[in-house]
Amino acid sequence: MTRALPRSVVARTTLGILLLAAVMGVIFAVMASWRVRNAEQDRLIARVHELSATVESTASVACFLQDKTLAKEITTGLMKNRILSGVRIRSGDQVLYQAGGRAPAKGLSRGAVDEISRTIHSPFDPTAVVGEITMFVSHAEIEAQAIAYSRYTTWMLGLQLAIVAGGVALLVYLLITRPIKGISDELKWLGVRAGMRLTVPSFHRSDEIGQLIVNVNSLITRLTDAVATERDLRKAHEVSERRMRLVLEKADTGILVLDENGTVLSCNPSFTRILGGTDTATTGASLAALLAPHGPLVAGLIAESFESGQPRDADLEIEARGRGKVWVELSVNPLGPNLLQGLVNDITERKRAECAAHELAMRDSITGLLNRRGLDGALNAALASVSESKQLALLLVDLDYFKAVNDTFGHAAGDLVLREVANVLAQCVRRTDIVGRSGGDEFVVLLPGIEGAYKAEEIAANIIAGLHKPIAVGDGKFAHVGASIGIALTGPTREPAAELMRRADVAMYAAKQAGRGRAFLRHQSGPPSEDGPRRTAVA
Amino acid sequence: MNRIALLLLLLLTSTQDVLATGSPSIVVVVNPESGVDKLSKDEVVDIFLGRYRKLPSGKTALPIDVSEASTERARFYQLLVKKSSAEMSSYWARLVFSGQTSPPFQVPDTRTALELVRSSPNAIAYVDRASVTSDVKVVFELKP
Repeated sequence: MTRALPRSVVARTTLGILLLAAVMGVIFAVMASWRVRNAEQDRLIARVHELSATVESTASVACFLQDKTLAKEITTGLMKNRILSGVRIRSGDQVLYQAGGRAPAKGLSRGAVDEISRTIHSPFDPTAVVGEITMFVSHAEIEAQAIAYSRYTTWMLGLQLAIVAGGVALLVYLLITRPIKGISDELKWLGVRAGMRLTVPSFHRSDEIGQLIVNVNSLITRLTDAVATERDLRKAHEVSERRMRLVLEKADTGILVLDENGTVLSCNPSFTRILGGTDTATTGASLAALLAPHGPLVAGLIAESFESGQPRDADLEIEARGRGKVWVELSVNPLGPNLLQGLVNDITERKRAECAAHELAMRDSITGLLNRRGLDGALNAALASVSESKQLALLLVDLDYFKAVNDTFGHAAGDLVLREVANVLAQCVRRTDIVGRSGGDEFVVLLPGIEGAYKAEEIAANIIAGLHKPIAVGDGKFAHVGASIGIALTGPTREPAAELMRRADVAMYAAKQAGRGRAFLRHQSGPPSEDGPRRTAVA
Repeated sequence: MNRIALLLLLLLTSTQDVLATGSPSIVVVVNPESGVDKLSKDEVVDIFLGRYRKLPSGKTALPIDVSEASTERARFYQLLVKKSSAEMSSYWARLVFSGQTSPPFQVPDTRTALELVRSSPNAIAYVDRASVTSDVKVVFELKP
């Protein structure tokens, strides 16, 4: 259907106008022809009346004189009118003359008059009737004339419509479609570059077409400006993006983006490097799984950060592939409703330094054993794991004649003695036991996981025996020290570290009082007298 | 009343010249031997305007017109059919070609007309009442 229509606006407009004109023409022609036909019939009938009026005076003479020649004359004259099919002039009962006759009545329109009679009066006496003239109307002729006239009118109307339609089409073509076609063609070949414009035809400078072109031009200008701005923005964006990517790629910090499930959506090379993995292994994996041993902690951190909208961080020690144990500092920051940014820093070095410092603070500089602070921590930790079957024994070892060594051989020799004592203690205890120097000539041995006093007493005896031996202090000289040991054993009641320490101290003091070189045990509850300081070993 | 008065006025106006001259009435005369004593107005009209050229006695009537220049002729037709001389000429002109009837026989004056009436039993003419002689018979009178 639409294929059949012309594509061109000109053709379409022209066709439309012509179609409209044709339709209107047909409608008007039908209406007009009907009206004109009726009017023409009326006019012709009126004409017959006029004819009868015209011949009336002569007819009155003819009738008055019953002059057949004159009647014939009149009749012949009237018969020259083709709309009459017959004429009859009568005077009284006598027909003076008749030509033609009644027309056949076929196809007669309703109510149509087929004869017109006129009474003829005497020319000398208007009141006296002398005859009658009858005219038979030729309806066929009237019809034919009416149709001819109506057809003529219709043709004129059609011609007029055609001319008007043609003129309008031409005007539409010249004033509207041709300029629009021109604009369209110009637009088609218009290159996209700044400053391009359509030309405004001078004839259309101030009409709607001109306005359209001006508006199109201003649109083009705006568009080219927008394109230029867009291009600049994109360039700037590209630069910034490249800079950003460079930062991301070159940063030591591992940077990653997480979704709400903790899945790694993207990450930079540093992240994979820190984990010791590959890009393909990290992207799309769960962060909790990547930081395997700390899975639940990481998941909790992520959930917390999402909930609170606040950054969360944690230091984690993980097993990096090919790099062993690595410390990382993980920080998660909310980016959006369901995105997190994760930052992972390798803090292994720092952790290591921290540990070293910690270690240093916990150790005695001379012997390398735990110092008082280190012992406090170790004692608290050991107490925490005490149970019914796993008791803890604390041995307070005090050197017996160390002051004399210092006085006789000097402090350097004293330090040597202290180091040797440490060695002896280390040799006497089990691998899991803890040895420390709580200050001066006093040492502490923690024996976790023992059951009953027996094992503690045995170790104490070994220590006393080990320290009874002379210790070389250089220049072929030997120092003789010994040790008194107070033993405290944890009991059914939980007690603070200080209480255990105090009991060991009491037992040790008792051992000193008892003559040195021995070990006394003091149980948890009950007075010392009752239980009694027990001598366990003597050198 | 008013209507009648108006009609009277119109009648007087149309016959003004007659009244002004104070002319006597016009009479139609025939030969005493014509066998006619009286004619009606219609019979006079039929005879003079060519419709029926026979006398009631059966004789052919020969109507006589006086010269067109004479006042009697104008007055006669004016009184008889209310037509002027020009109208009468036009009437006869129509009938020239048909040839079925002809205008009355025309004589130069009243005297000639009377002479014809005296000599022919068929002749019929109109004259002033004043011109009537005893050897003709008045059969119709037109009073102004």
